[in-house]
Amino acid sequence: MSDTFVAAENLHKAFNDHKAVNGVSFFIEQGEVFGLLGPNGAGKTTTIRMLSTILEPDRGDVTIGGHSVRHNPDAVREIIGVCPQELALYPDLSALDNLLFFGRMAGLNGREAKAQAMANLEKMGLEDRARGRVDKFSGGMKRRINLAIALMGNPLLLFLDEPTVGIDPQSRNMIYDTIEALRDGGMTILYTTHYMEEADRLCSRVAIMDGGKIVALDTPYGLKSMIGTPEQVTLEDVFLKLTGRGLRD
Amino acid sequence: MTRALVIAVKEVRSYLTDRADLAFSLLLPVAIFALMYGAFSGQTLFNGTAHIVNDDPNGTYSRELIDRLAARDELEVDLLTRGEAEAKLERSDLLLVTCIPEDFSSQLAVGWPTEITFMQRGNGGQEGQIVASMVRAEADRLSQEVQAERQVRSALAEKAIGDDQIETAVHCLLERERKLPLVEVTETLIGADTSLVHQSLPGIIAMFVLFSITMSSRTIVEERRKGTLERLLTTRLTVSEMFMGKFLAGTTRGFVQTFILLTLAYAVFRLFTPLSFGMVLFVALVFAAAASTLGLIIASVSRTDDQASWISVFFTMATVMLGGTFFEIPEGTVLHTIGKASINTYSISAFQTLTDPGAILADVSLEIAVLAAVAVVGFFVSRVLFRAVTGGR
Repeated sequence: MSDTFVAAENLHKAFNDHKAVNGVSFFIEQGEVFGLLGPNGAGKTTTIRMLSTILEPDRGDVTIGGHSVRHNPDAVREIIGVCPQELALYPDLSALDNLLFFGRMAGLNGREAKAQAMANLEKMGLEDRARGRVDKFSGGMKRRINLAIALMGNPLLLFLDEPTVGIDPQSRNMIYDTIEALRDGGMTILYTTHYMEEADRLCSRVAIMDGGKIVALDTPYGLKSMIGTPEQVTLEDVFLKLTGRGLRD
Repeated sequence: MTRALVIAVKEVRSYLTDRADLAFSLLLPVAIFALMYGAFSGQTLFNGTAHIVNDDPNGTYSRELIDRLAARDELEVDLLTRGEAEAKLERSDLLLVTCIPEDFSSQLAVGWPTEITFMQRGNGGQEGQIVASMVRAEADRLSQEVQAERQVRSALAEKAIGDDQIETAVHCLLERERKLPLVEVTETLIGADTSLVHQSLPGIIAMFVLFSITMSSRTIVEERRKGTLERLLTTRLTVSEMFMGKFLAGTTRGFVQTFILLTLAYAVFRLFTPLSFGMVLFVALVFAAAASTLGLIIASVSRTDDQASWISVFFTMATVMLGGTFFEIPEGTVLHTIGKASINTYSISAFQTLTDPGAILADVSLEIAVLAAVAVVGFFVSRVLFRAVTGGR
């Protein structure tokens, strides 16, 4: 890991008087799984929306694979895949049709889309349910389809926004295994989660956001070292120490 | 453009596989059409049943009378025994029964009086009275024909003319008189003829196309609700491609409904020639395109299903009223001037013009130009108004 694939510099975004993101800078190496943690309202979603070209920064810029999100968002969209926290699926379509549709949107032709869709369904253990309507699927199956869609078009940077919310341990483990396989295959991943043990297991570095700023950024081991003996504290201890115990909602 | 087509195909497929949408969109035009057919093309004449007790079952003239009654379009014949008739009259199942006496044919053959009796409860009811008058008319005609034939035979009795010849000649004359009577009676329907279809159909078509505005207006809200909108906009799909796909899908939905309605009108009411049918379909397509972009404008500014639905309903109602959809707005009034802002004004004018004999597309060039302009401008306006998220693309 030596090449910087994502470089966010001094990002700012405000909605009316509220500064949602206030001077965020970080970089992600190619092939790295980078964790972005923070309580609700910390600015994670706004940051991801700016990185994924949905929002334009008020100030600052991000380059992804050498392309500026501000000046060349079309080029950025060609190399990213987004797995949103919400199940962004068409429930009236089959699993295969969902993947085919998003594959076409990712620039694949019909044949390529079908081949990738079948490969991704197999990766998620859903090849037998390819023709099943998504609204008949369990929560875990929908989560896996949600991730499979993000992989259509073989993106170089994958945004995973809480991909394991509300699913059983079996599905969660399958998603972990998939993410580790993708990382081993060289894919760069930006990962957000509220499950600290996930970040500890999957991420090589973690940024903790609060109040629109990054309040800490290091390896999980380094973060734990900040407050004690790494073997005796958890990432959650660090998180609560840095962001406080007060409710945010 | 390929991605826009993929979106359009997906939306049309979803529309065709959603039973509720399909029932609303396709069966409703058929139901409306059935109502129109019932109102304008169905039975407009009297239709009743002559309940008859025939006590002269083997008589030539009693059978002839029954055959003639049965041959009338507006009458069916129900033969009863006397016992059945009395029982049904007793229970008020029937209000009037015609009784043919057993000497009917024999008396008529020799020119002696005979008597048909109407057994009735009260005044026999409205239907009974009409049936009685029909039976009376057929019996009179039969009696006159029999008497005429008898008198001809009597007059020619001294001549050397065979009975067969006389019978053939008289029957031939009577048949001709029946087919081409000296006094022809025709019925003219006032207030219910196909010209009403001609007047109403454009409005009904306009209504159905306007329904598609509601469907189009919800399409982006639904993407937003499912979370697929943001996901789509992180792919290579551009916002313009997405709008083009939605526009094509909306146009197709509106056109499919119109196509069904127009095809039924073409097949049943014969309102069009093949040429005018093609021209009307073309106008319907342009109108559906205009409606589709108006739906997209509403979709661009709506954030919830309710918003989209209410704005669409309000817009549709205003358009229908101002466009003179089901009533004519007098020229020179303020409403007439405001009505020029309604796309219905132009679509209805075009539909009505094209259903007139000899009309050509050039006759509705202004209407087509306005509708096409609405489609193009509406598309760009909807694109400009659209924001995926606050402060975003």
